[in-house]
Amino acid sequence: MRPGVQRVMKTRSISRENLAALVADLVKGGTDVVAPARASDGKVDYRRVAKFDEITMNGGMPRRSLKEFFLPPTEALFSWKQKQADITLEPVPTTFGPAVVLGARPCDTAGVVVLDKVMGWDFRDELWFGRREATTIVSLACSGVDDSCFCRVVGLSPETEKGADLVLYPADGGFLAQPVTEKGEALISAHSARFVDAPAGDPGKATAGKEKKATAAAAAPATPGGAKSETVLPAGAKAGTAIPAGATAAPASVGTGGIGGPVDLGSVHDWLADHFEHPLWEAIAFRCHGCGACASVCPTCHCFDIVDEPEGVTEGTRRRNWDTCQEGRFTLHASGHNPRAQQNARFRQRVMHKFYIYPEKFGETLCTGCGRCVRDCPGGMDLPEIVAKIAALATKDSVRS
Amino acid sequence: MQELRDLARKLLSDGAVGVVIGYEEGPHGVRPAFITDGADADKLIFDRRCVQNLATYLAPRRNHLGKLGKKALVVKGCDARAVAGLIRETQIKREDVVIIGVRCGGVLRSDLAIGNGGSGNGEGGIGGGGAGRPAAGAVATGAAAVALTPETVADRCAECDIREPHLADHLVGELPPAPPVSKRREELIAKIEAMTPGERWDFWQQELERCVLCHACREVCPMCFCERCVADKTVPQWLESSPTGRANFAWHLTRALHQAGRCCDCGECERACPADIPLGLLNRKLAQVVEERYEFRATDDPEIPAPVGSYKLNDTQEFIL
Amino acid sequence: MNLYQPHLVKIDSIIEETHDTRTLKLRFLDPEVAAKFDFRAGQFGEYSVFGAGECTFCIASSPTRKGTIECTFKSVGKATNAMRGLNEGDTMGFRGPYGNSFPLDRMEKASMVFIAGGIGLAPVRCVIWNTLDLRDQFKDVTIVYGARSVADLVYKRELTEWEARKDVKLWQTVDPGGETPEWKHEIGFVPAIVEKAAPKADNAYAVVCGPPIMIKYTLPVLEKLGFPPERIYTTLENRMKCGCGKCGRCNIGPVYVCKDGPVFTAAEMAKLPGEY
Repeated sequence: MRPGVQRVMKTRSISRENLAALVADLVKGGTDVVAPARASDGKVDYRRVAKFDEITMNGGMPRRSLKEFFLPPTEALFSWKQKQADITLEPVPTTFGPAVVLGARPCDTAGVVVLDKVMGWDFRDELWFGRREATTIVSLACSGVDDSCFCRVVGLSPETEKGADLVLYPADGGFLAQPVTEKGEALISAHSARFVDAPAGDPGKATAGKEKKATAAAAAPATPGGAKSETVLPAGAKAGTAIPAGATAAPASVGTGGIGGPVDLGSVHDWLADHFEHPLWEAIAFRCHGCGACASVCPTCHCFDIVDEPEGVTEGTRRRNWDTCQEGRFTLHASGHNPRAQQNARFRQRVMHKFYIYPEKFGETLCTGCGRCVRDCPGGMDLPEIVAKIAALATKDSVRS
Repeated sequence: MQELRDLARKLLSDGAVGVVIGYEEGPHGVRPAFITDGADADKLIFDRRCVQNLATYLAPRRNHLGKLGKKALVVKGCDARAVAGLIRETQIKREDVVIIGVRCGGVLRSDLAIGNGGSGNGEGGIGGGGAGRPAAGAVATGAAAVALTPETVADRCAECDIREPHLADHLVGELPPAPPVSKRREELIAKIEAMTPGERWDFWQQELERCVLCHACREVCPMCFCERCVADKTVPQWLESSPTGRANFAWHLTRALHQAGRCCDCGECERACPADIPLGLLNRKLAQVVEERYEFRATDDPEIPAPVGSYKLNDTQEFIL
Repeated sequence: MNLYQPHLVKIDSIIEETHDTRTLKLRFLDPEVAAKFDFRAGQFGEYSVFGAGECTFCIASSPTRKGTIECTFKSVGKATNAMRGLNEGDTMGFRGPYGNSFPLDRMEKASMVFIAGGIGLAPVRCVIWNTLDLRDQFKDVTIVYGARSVADLVYKRELTEWEARKDVKLWQTVDPGGETPEWKHEIGFVPAIVEKAAPKADNAYAVVCGPPIMIKYTLPVLEKLGFPPERIYTTLENRMKCGCGKCGRCNIGPVYVCKDGPVFTAAEMAKLPGEY
């Protein structure tokens, strides 16, 4: 929602105690609650939780994105059984039990709705949408993780409500709850005793550059590498989201990925459309290992493989598994021919798919700036740096013409 | 540092090499640098954050690096073991690479050295203070921010016996004092060994269930140089490709066995793993076994044959019977 | 049941085309599916052997011939090797049809020039039969087909049939050295034979399919004959998994081969980066 747009749905507030009780109610009622929580090794993952205490609200960045709850790393498509020449197929269910995602990062919720496009054009992926329909997504306005975050670079913000049904904002003693969709409103109605109407007031504007003092219990922490914040550019209207009165916007420096602020994604798209061949690509991926760790942690990378896993000779399961364009075998033909035989070409594909192909086809950038690819890259590949470089090339070209 | 930069500049301007592969300050921490112009030599750095093993860029399957010409490579002692491994296993010739050895006083744990690189998940960043990690800002501001202590030093530095690489064409830097020793990994291995088979199974089950078979461990590994990995073969298919519990076990055990007596203990697989699986434990344990049984320990002398490719009369072989 | 679950098909018959290439005639097991199934020339499907996985081929039979579909394949990988291991009466999986098609309605009253090399005749054969089954809707029909050697020619019985027809001009060729003593047709590469056949470009469409090198040298010949790139069609093969625009594997620049293709004009191809 853009600044100044009148909100249709009423803002509520919920105390921590009531949120804990809500989780208990949901779990008791048979709803899966998925939230950022400690894994066995102490890191944070999105996982099923049994109670609120397990959840780390605005704690560490979950290791992988939210996508795996809609597109699991591996899932059965059907199984087969053979008896002499007769084969029977056993379908997998395409309806799913109710689930609530709680405390998701806005960059992760945005990723889910971006992927709705590819999963639903023409052919409809029933497994994806089965899970989507059964799930209500409650995000938590973000205070940022570190300077690898670059949501603002790709036109989002730490408060973006994209993909969320209900957004929570940290506030004194609890959270403000802003429903965004009917589903979000329905969650509140179904548990109305846990919520109260939020005090009225003018909606604030989370425009960058105008940092509000923290009033909520969770104070906005210092920006990373403090000196950098002075060079931050205004986030622009696109990144702005109307936030409820009393909620705190993240500092403008959060989510700028070390490059200062948003880039003009339109000109990046246009430049990419015209520059499949360019010296940039010749040297883009020297340090890239082609390991695809980036794809496995990415909220929007959705490429998959389909394989048969036999159990003995007469039965088995066809599965789909995450895959990545960064590995050479991704495009390898059985004949031995490989249209993308080199890592430079494979990395170009990654950039093209995110900032040209997907926007061209679906009108959405295939990147939400979560920064996981930056954090997890063993080779030091840096997507915001590359996007900034392309934006600079685009500007140079437009000046020249 | 100046010595390193001057050497790189000279190698490039003399035309001795086409590229110097070293380390530079990236936007989010230290990262590999590919210097092709002497004018950029001042980008090169070396300090305790330089954890990456650059020898992995020598493997022939990195076909996009060929056009850069002859390579000079900055190596620590542990990385030199990988270069030796590649020479020993005939992947490269000694004369194919100019080796710039750096005298090393130990490196940081990778999560401290390069922010979250493959480990951790931003815990210490803006979100605020967990698990004793420094803030992301501290990592970015330079080596001085984190001192080497038994807590912060990389696991492999405890076993280091090559602080000054023998396999080198040039040696740069003064030899710093020996790093503090961390017992973390050896203690963990001992703890796992003390477990009952059931407990051990549970431990690895819990760790490996996070694996999505992205194979990042393989792709960064200098010794995983196969053109076509056994995991990618389909005719016949040796390993399942769906990341289910059993396939994850099959992959990691296969890889660990293929690394036995070959692993140079650079820690890259563990650093690259986006699921933070402690793969180093498997490799280290097998290295211990190989050392006990075959008196071989990964070395930077390419002339010493690896046990997997050599035969000695006194090789233990009771396991065959 | 989700979109990735195939229909079951039974192998009606198997034709050995060459030492490594076979044609399977497949019949849907479910009569309801069989009755409803329809496709257009140029569309493809995902064929599978349970336990070995899926592979992608154009449907090689014509949509005018209902009841069965045919696929012609070379055994090169895991799935195709498994397909080769099947016998008549065995059950396979099929899902589709996917992709776009040759715009035959637009080609009505025009002349058709079919040019194919090796197993590239399979997707072209679908359009050839579609055209021949509606013969009075088209003007001249020319077919230029070549293979490395006589033994590598596919659909031999149909070549004989086309040769006998008065309303089809068929040029058959093999690469130099690929002929047998009995070979009575052309010897030479496909582009040279196209030049020799010199089909008229007026109100004509060309459909070209074969190895990349053949396509590369045939296009300039067609251009010389006066075929504008908008009236030259080909069909692309990129590695695919889902076939329906989800899995991201078949991208060539902004194009999803499985959705925007597999049929492209030479004009469209010229705009694509060379990642195929």
